[in-house]
Amino acid sequence: MEKLPKTVNRGSFDKSILGFWLIGGLLVLFIVLAILSVAVPELGNPGHLAGVITDPSVLLTLGITMIAGLNAVAILVLVGTPLAYALARSTFPGKGLVESIIDLPLILPHTVAGLMVYLLFMSKGILGAPLGNVGIIFEDAYPGIVVAMVFVAIPYYVNTVREGFETVPVRLENVARTLGASRFRAFWHVVLPLSSRHIYYGALLAWGRAIGEFAAVIMIAYFPMVISTLIYYRFATGGLSEAMSVALVMIVICGAIFVLFRLLLKKKGGHDDQA
Amino acid sequence: MIRLEHISLQRGSFSLDDINLDVQSGRYYFLMGPSGAGKTLILEIIAGLKDPCSGQVYMNGTDITGTRAEDRNIGFVYQDYSLFPHYSVAKNVAFGMKMQGKSPSDQDKKVRELLQQFGIAHLAGRSPQALSGGEKQRVALARALAINPSVLLLDEPFAALDLVSREECMQGLRDLHRDNGITILQVSHSRDEVYTLADEVALIDHGSILQTGRPTDVFSHPKTRRAAVIAGTENILEGVVRSKAGGLNSIDVQGVTIAGEGTYPPGSTVVLCIRAGDIAIHTGNEAPDYHDNIIEGIVASQIITDYTCTLTVEGPLPMKVTIPRKSREQTVFQNGHAVLLSFSRNHVLVLPAPTMTDQ
Repeated sequence: MEKLPKTVNRGSFDKSILGFWLIGGLLVLFIVLAILSVAVPELGNPGHLAGVITDPSVLLTLGITMIAGLNAVAILVLVGTPLAYALARSTFPGKGLVESIIDLPLILPHTVAGLMVYLLFMSKGILGAPLGNVGIIFEDAYPGIVVAMVFVAIPYYVNTVREGFETVPVRLENVARTLGASRFRAFWHVVLPLSSRHIYYGALLAWGRAIGEFAAVIMIAYFPMVISTLIYYRFATGGLSEAMSVALVMIVICGAIFVLFRLLLKKKGGHDDQA
Repeated sequence: MIRLEHISLQRGSFSLDDINLDVQSGRYYFLMGPSGAGKTLILEIIAGLKDPCSGQVYMNGTDITGTRAEDRNIGFVYQDYSLFPHYSVAKNVAFGMKMQGKSPSDQDKKVRELLQQFGIAHLAGRSPQALSGGEKQRVALARALAINPSVLLLDEPFAALDLVSREECMQGLRDLHRDNGITILQVSHSRDEVYTLADEVALIDHGSILQTGRPTDVFSHPKTRRAAVIAGTENILEGVVRSKAGGLNSIDVQGVTIAGEGTYPPGSTVVLCIRAGDIAIHTGNEAPDYHDNIIEGIVASQIITDYTCTLTVEGPLPMKVTIPRKSREQTVFQNGHAVLLSFSRNHVLVLPAPTMTDQ
């Protein structure tokens, strides 16, 4: 009797992909080991960890970091979303140049990014001087943290959201317009809802990038401290164990936020794939 | 109703050249041509979604060339129907009325009416992803009609449908046009659709309109070789006129003499168009005396459909012959069998040879 070919049980693990997992899994292992190297010593000394968690200066720094990150994302959503849409729907000579300019913060050394932000927003800078005249100070001030965060997070937000807009067929907008929607209303009622997953994901990436920034932030605003500045400060002044406690707090908070965000996105569902 | 005057548009290497079109109110008008001919681009220019480089678009005598798409009140249905995937069927249909600022109660009433009219009331709450091709098309039509458009533009609306749905939807569109009297401009590359639905047709190719008129006129009397190709003429031959007498040309085609109605002077190079359905096919040596043209050949292959059989006959002149399916069952034509083909001279359309620009 002829032997029947093996059928693939869709519910089971596809063994043919095991080789890819074995190689690629090394990266996951790399990250897990890095987390454990911080978490294991700290969890072995819960008293010290509790002291750090309840330290008012740590809590204040955490608060400043999170809120500055949210402010940076808010600015990117307001300004970066129109830019992403314009890039997704336009072709013009020099578009590649504009895209390269947007990508620049991705490849610049963070200290260079910080230097650029500092030169722009220092008290004698092109933007810093006039804004200083109306009372908005950037050097060693909260606005300085936000602009540094915005600068480094621009490509993360704009590129992700632009990809989302590009997945929405132009024909859907065209139909909306023939049905009486202006360009903006077609964008608002059709493109935006269909790109929501990319917008949320872009915001999350930008936020993660923003709150993790160190070099660009300290160039313009060493104070008030953000969490990365505090970790460096504790490491420089109190040694490894002081820095590790704050680092673990940051890992737990960021990890929780990312997991929560993914769960919410999964629950919400998305229309990006249906467009 | 809709008039295009000297419309031109350049898109990369493709261009629309001096498009002139006149669609009268209440007509069912077709733009027919191969893929990439520029048909959809013309619809998008009429809808205001693309700006022409030059020329004017008129609607009811008013120049609307500079009018925004949202202010033109033109219904548009794309080939893929482009339903909004994040809205239910009812919300899709209500979208235009919402944009027009109609009250929710007016929207609901109209949506119910339209869904009823199109026989899709039971789908109101469904997501577009859960619809069949035919259902999607009806939703797209209902959505376009919800704004009471002056004209309906349809971009190959049957292309994504199976045969049964296609016939149902063609019937539906014919009823819609008959009952509402709405002006429809439809893009297609199917001769069947044009025959079934169109009052008028424009043949378009490479961004130019080749010929306009009633479907029977355009398909029976294409004015150029290219128009004949687009109109689906199966047998297009080139020959040289040998003689001219009493409105009749005797034409030499690869050594075979064919009689056709024409007044071209001897020595002229001409194109002969003969529809496959106008050729009779005979077995054996029986030579019918009622046809002017008789050609010998051998059956090379056959394509059989529900109602017809198209035979490719090789010989001194390769020809295609379409006969009703019933005939094929009565008379067996086997591949390799010798046959005689006959056709009347008034079924031979003689056209001037194409110039470089025609080609």
